[in-house]
Amino acid sequence: MIPVGQRAARKPFQFRSAAHLLRIEPQRATTVAELLEGLRSCSDASIFEHTFQTLREHHFITEGFSNDFAQWALAACNEARLAEHLAAVDIREFTEIAGLRQRLVSVMDEYVRTHPEAAGRTAFEPFYFAASELFVVPTPYQAHNLEEFASSLEKVSVASIHYHFVDARLRLKLDSNNFSVWLEEALDLGDLAQQIKRIDIYTLTLEGVRQRILEAVQKALNGASGSKEA
Amino acid sequence: MNRKNNPGATVAPPSESARPARRAVRPQPRLDDYAAVVGPAEIDELRYLAQQLRGRTVKMVNSTAVGGGVAEILNRLVPLMNELEIATKWEVITGGEDFFAVTKAFHNALHGSPYELTQEASDVFLSYNEQNRQSMQFGEDLVVIHDPQPAGLVLSKPEGKAKWIWRCHIDLSHPHPGVWGLLRPLVEQYDAAIFSSPSFSRSQMGIPQYLFFPAIDPLAEKNKKLDDKKVQEVCDRFGIDRKRPILTQISRFDRLKDPVGVIRAYKMAKHYADCQLVLAGGGATDDPEGAQVLAEVKEAAAGDPDVIILDLPPWSHVEINALQRASTIVIQKSLREGFGLTVSEALWKGKPVIAGAVGGIPVQVIHKLTGMLVHSVEGCAYQIRYLLTHPDFARQLGRNGREHVRANFLITSNLKRYMLLYLILLKISSPLVS
Repeated sequence: MIPVGQRAARKPFQFRSAAHLLRIEPQRATTVAELLEGLRSCSDASIFEHTFQTLREHHFITEGFSNDFAQWALAACNEARLAEHLAAVDIREFTEIAGLRQRLVSVMDEYVRTHPEAAGRTAFEPFYFAASELFVVPTPYQAHNLEEFASSLEKVSVASIHYHFVDARLRLKLDSNNFSVWLEEALDLGDLAQQIKRIDIYTLTLEGVRQRILEAVQKALNGASGSKEA
Repeated sequence: MNRKNNPGATVAPPSESARPARRAVRPQPRLDDYAAVVGPAEIDELRYLAQQLRGRTVKMVNSTAVGGGVAEILNRLVPLMNELEIATKWEVITGGEDFFAVTKAFHNALHGSPYELTQEASDVFLSYNEQNRQSMQFGEDLVVIHDPQPAGLVLSKPEGKAKWIWRCHIDLSHPHPGVWGLLRPLVEQYDAAIFSSPSFSRSQMGIPQYLFFPAIDPLAEKNKKLDDKKVQEVCDRFGIDRKRPILTQISRFDRLKDPVGVIRAYKMAKHYADCQLVLAGGGATDDPEGAQVLAEVKEAAAGDPDVIILDLPPWSHVEINALQRASTIVIQKSLREGFGLTVSEALWKGKPVIAGAVGGIPVQVIHKLTGMLVHSVEGCAYQIRYLLTHPDFARQLGRNGREHVRANFLITSNLKRYMLLYLILLKISSPLVS
């Protein structure tokens, strides 16, 4: 029987990366109420930036809240409860921006209704809406089997990890990530795909995510996890 | 130098004759040299983006070839673009003393200082821009104009495919209405504007605005790795004791950098922790206000042998590098700031930084994550005490800070952002999300 690591994939995994350029948007907020208005009117790209890209920008830090709205509510408005509610919005529940925007708006709306005194209080510093313009960039790395996948994953940039593991969800409307989809569809490694899907992007750095994926893949290669899928 | 008998010691600026003999011109770093810093994947990405732009031509224009952050950035950026076969020229506008007096006043007014705009000042500004337009050719695909001084060159923008970008390096959050009223109609003729911080941008402008952080060159003399022997030699030369904590602020002797406030914070902290303070900067010799501030600094430091004031000449890159590396904590307690690249320089050296929450500093120093932001002398003193008594936390800030700079504030990131903007404006490649 062909070992799991050398089993040929039905199609190769092409590692890509992404380059980003930040565009400054017209919306600005100096109060919680203005942030709510901004959330309603800003571009989809802005929602994407402030929820998904923060994980890339601060990929080396796990402290602090994982989306910019929550971070601003805490740091600039001193609204810890609102910050916690915004931070609890899990991007993994959404496969499109509209749903994510709706959830953020509903969290803010509820807070403004129940804490009217907080809505108009001026923040220490404004929130500036931005949008990320994202360009896909090819990399020289391609995997035809699990061993090649592991060795390529060790070499690609953290931007590539972010591209495949985090922003693929909304970009491709996936309830998963590119790695898990490929492992399941091209190699029939469903258990490994699920393990990788469960890795917590909020409490790990992108390097941490890379290590967790590599650990799971290594176990599969050693037969501890992937063997039953052979 | 023995500071024991020389309290509040000041090292005077060396005379021009003391300037080191010009060393043999070393070749500038090539793009591949940066792979050791940012990783080969990043270099591959830059090469890929450049391939899409190969054969395109770019002109960069600013108002000075030497001195200042803009010239420092262009000195590296332009050769790197040419290495990537994006033919890039850098030209500098000319002007008389009257022009630069007016544009300096404009600069201060755009930063929010009081100013009375006269018709004469407007005429001087516009006529020098017109003279420069007459002597310059603009046949490139892309023209990048840096800062307000040459903003009027946009009147030479031809109809057609050429795209013009205005790169603003200053804080426009509260501009003088008259000066901005003069500039805005010019700026709005560009195809895009670039700012160093979202807070510097203007919300009601009719052109797209992009965020580019300024950048440091990790391979420049000021930032490259130094062996400890060199660091020790510089400390010995300036009488700095490396066995005790060293607090350092590197900046011009300028009231907006609050050097006297730094001395007060050091004195408050010194009640709790034995430490030294190094204030190193330059610019005092040719700036009457700088000389006055330097005198105030000396007076505030008088009687304390642990305050070391270094009035350094502008070519002291290695000395600054060594001082930052020798520091236990780097301070940048500015009261007002453009971007404050000295902060990135210190973060790049893995140093815990305590900095004023002004201008572009909060982009670099994320409070308690990549450094500590402060709003007062008292806050600065407290954070000095805190970091001196929590060295593990201080080291973590330094590690985070270095990664933050690696991801955002290096010359390679700057190069990439320019290429992405060129791709957008020339419609060579469309972003995936916009």
